[in-house]
Amino acid sequence: MATNQNSVERVDDAVVRSFARAAVLAALMGAAAVVGSIPIPFSPVPVSLGVLVVYLMGLYLGPVWGPASVGLYLTAGAVGLPVFANGASGIGVLVGDSAGYLWAYPIAALVIGTLIHGRGKLENPAETSIPVLAVALLTALTIIYALGTVWLGYVLKVSMIEAVNLAVVPFIPGDLLKIVATIVIVKGGRIDPT
Amino acid sequence: MIEFRAVSHAFDDVPVLEDVSLSIDDGEFVLLAGANGSGKTTLLRHCNGLLTPDSGTVRVDGTPVEDDLIAARSSVGMVFQHPRDQFVSATVGADVAFGPENLGLKRAEIDRRVDAALAAVNMAGRGDDRIDALSGGEQSRVAIAGALAMEPTHLVLDEPFTGLDDPARRSVLERLASLAEDGTGVLLATHDLRDVCELADRVIAMRDGRVVVDGPPANALDDLDGLEVRVPSG
Amino acid sequence: MLTYEPDDTFAHRLDPRTKLAVQIGFAATALAHPTPRALLVLSALTGVVMAGAGVSLRRTLAAYRFALLVLALAPVLSGATLGAPWFDRAAATASGLASYRVLLVLLVSAAYVRSTPVRDSRAAIQRTIPGKPGQLLGIGVALVFRFLPVLRGDLRTIREAMAARLGTERGAVDRVSTIGMLGLSRAFDRADRLSLALQARCFAWNPTLPPLAFSRADYPVLAVAVVLACSAFI
Repeated sequence: MATNQNSVERVDDAVVRSFARAAVLAALMGAAAVVGSIPIPFSPVPVSLGVLVVYLMGLYLGPVWGPASVGLYLTAGAVGLPVFANGASGIGVLVGDSAGYLWAYPIAALVIGTLIHGRGKLENPAETSIPVLAVALLTALTIIYALGTVWLGYVLKVSMIEAVNLAVVPFIPGDLLKIVATIVIVKGGRIDPT
Repeated sequence: MIEFRAVSHAFDDVPVLEDVSLSIDDGEFVLLAGANGSGKTTLLRHCNGLLTPDSGTVRVDGTPVEDDLIAARSSVGMVFQHPRDQFVSATVGADVAFGPENLGLKRAEIDRRVDAALAAVNMAGRGDDRIDALSGGEQSRVAIAGALAMEPTHLVLDEPFTGLDDPARRSVLERLASLAEDGTGVLLATHDLRDVCELADRVIAMRDGRVVVDGPPANALDDLDGLEVRVPSG
Repeated sequence: MLTYEPDDTFAHRLDPRTKLAVQIGFAATALAHPTPRALLVLSALTGVVMAGAGVSLRRTLAAYRFALLVLALAPVLSGATLGAPWFDRAAATASGLASYRVLLVLLVSAAYVRSTPVRDSRAAIQRTIPGKPGQLLGIGVALVFRFLPVLRGDLRTIREAMAARLGTERGAVDRVSTIGMLGLSRAFDRADRLSLALQARCFAWNPTLPPLAFSRADYPVLAVAVVLACSAFI
């Protein structure tokens, strides 16, 4: 038995902790994409909580494990777990009409993580000021909209203006609401990731 | 053998373990009793290096735990509260195989160990069952099988009965007793001593981070007053 | 909902890596050639793939209904103009063909989803992506599979508990932030318990990998995948 075990390289305990959080948050995002939608006034589209979890990943897992968590979510969806919007799955979704949004998620988590935590140790995001939080989240949302629209326009061969009408305008109220809700969560300070 | 020598540990300057010395022999069934917050969980997590002492040493089979974490963790199997959150795979067999896979064993040996571990907890032939479809008692037993598949010399359990009804609790206990009979050292932390005293060789009780009782159950029971431990009635 | 279903179709017997290759080749060429002739050939191929995996067209379309809505709207929006001639047929046709190829890609990936259990995908990831990223991604997918139903249950419980106390009467920001906060804090609790269990079971960078082997049926299908991928460049 001992001869076999010599070759085993143990994963460092700190890495295991971050990895477990990344994996469970990826599952939370999948759960939110199906269970989480809430109807809101003045919008034809109900709010799905999926993007909210992307924000939380950047805020609470940081610039390394945040994007890694999104990566796990995308991989899980690609191989058939029903984690994409409304329980869809498959590689097709990753090149389909909404693929631009999905590929923007890891970038969004990276941007939020970097703006809040820098490159050093993970901080408690509750200590970040509201303007910084708002700028980080709005930047992330802008990236998501930009990539989402450009890809939609390319893959369905519609003009940019049509793509914006189809894939951005209906979602703006819900997305702003999620940013406010995210700031409320962070400033509530109930969760300390350090 | 698991051996604690003068172990102390503090979280943020609050002492949780103070000068703990004890030993658990192979094949011994030891109960670790004490109220919530008495330091049981902290003590258990020193057995396989999930925590390291601020002072003192913990040895497993003679080697200090932090010198060889892989050896310590394969020799000391650990089962936590909330089995639902301990599973890695969606099906029983794949989950039990996780530990042996991490030891880099050959596939045939892994399969043999999975079958043996499932048989030891009365779950033989259930390898393809979905874990979410199992009852609470069955989930606890699969969690134990996951630890057993690493063929540990000791099995350490932290309140494994949380959320189990009495029959399920009894079925888990019976499996533990027969494992101890077969030579595995068992260290079972619980605040509920009903039905378990007659199975145990020794009772260790803790209060405020110190060991206050260490002896055979017959003697120990009288000393448990005031420790907020649920003792057998009558 | 589209998920894996145990069956004995041709696709079920293929190696997951073969099936991944076919999807990638198919998507590459479909994205490169939104022409009527290419799409005719690809439609026929999609039919073969779906039959080979026992995929029902009706159920798959239902599973992708939200994407279908966008796919159907795109050519209409693209064709509509604000002045004469009010409808631009060329633009609508181009967009229609582009939408149709996305539909084909979705249908082909449905064949993979129906015919491939998660443990096969995990093995394919661990064996294809080298080193530590492959190991984390493979185990990570298994963990997402394991925890998805658990966290869905959590979110449902949170929403029911809120509704029971008339939380539905509160403002939308309030509701969304409460669900998000409770969901996140439960997820972190579960993750921290999971992390202890992973450590106790010697989570390793180089475990024994799940078995996976190409069979004779895989080679011709792999050849098709290569041809598809190459055809993207002509």
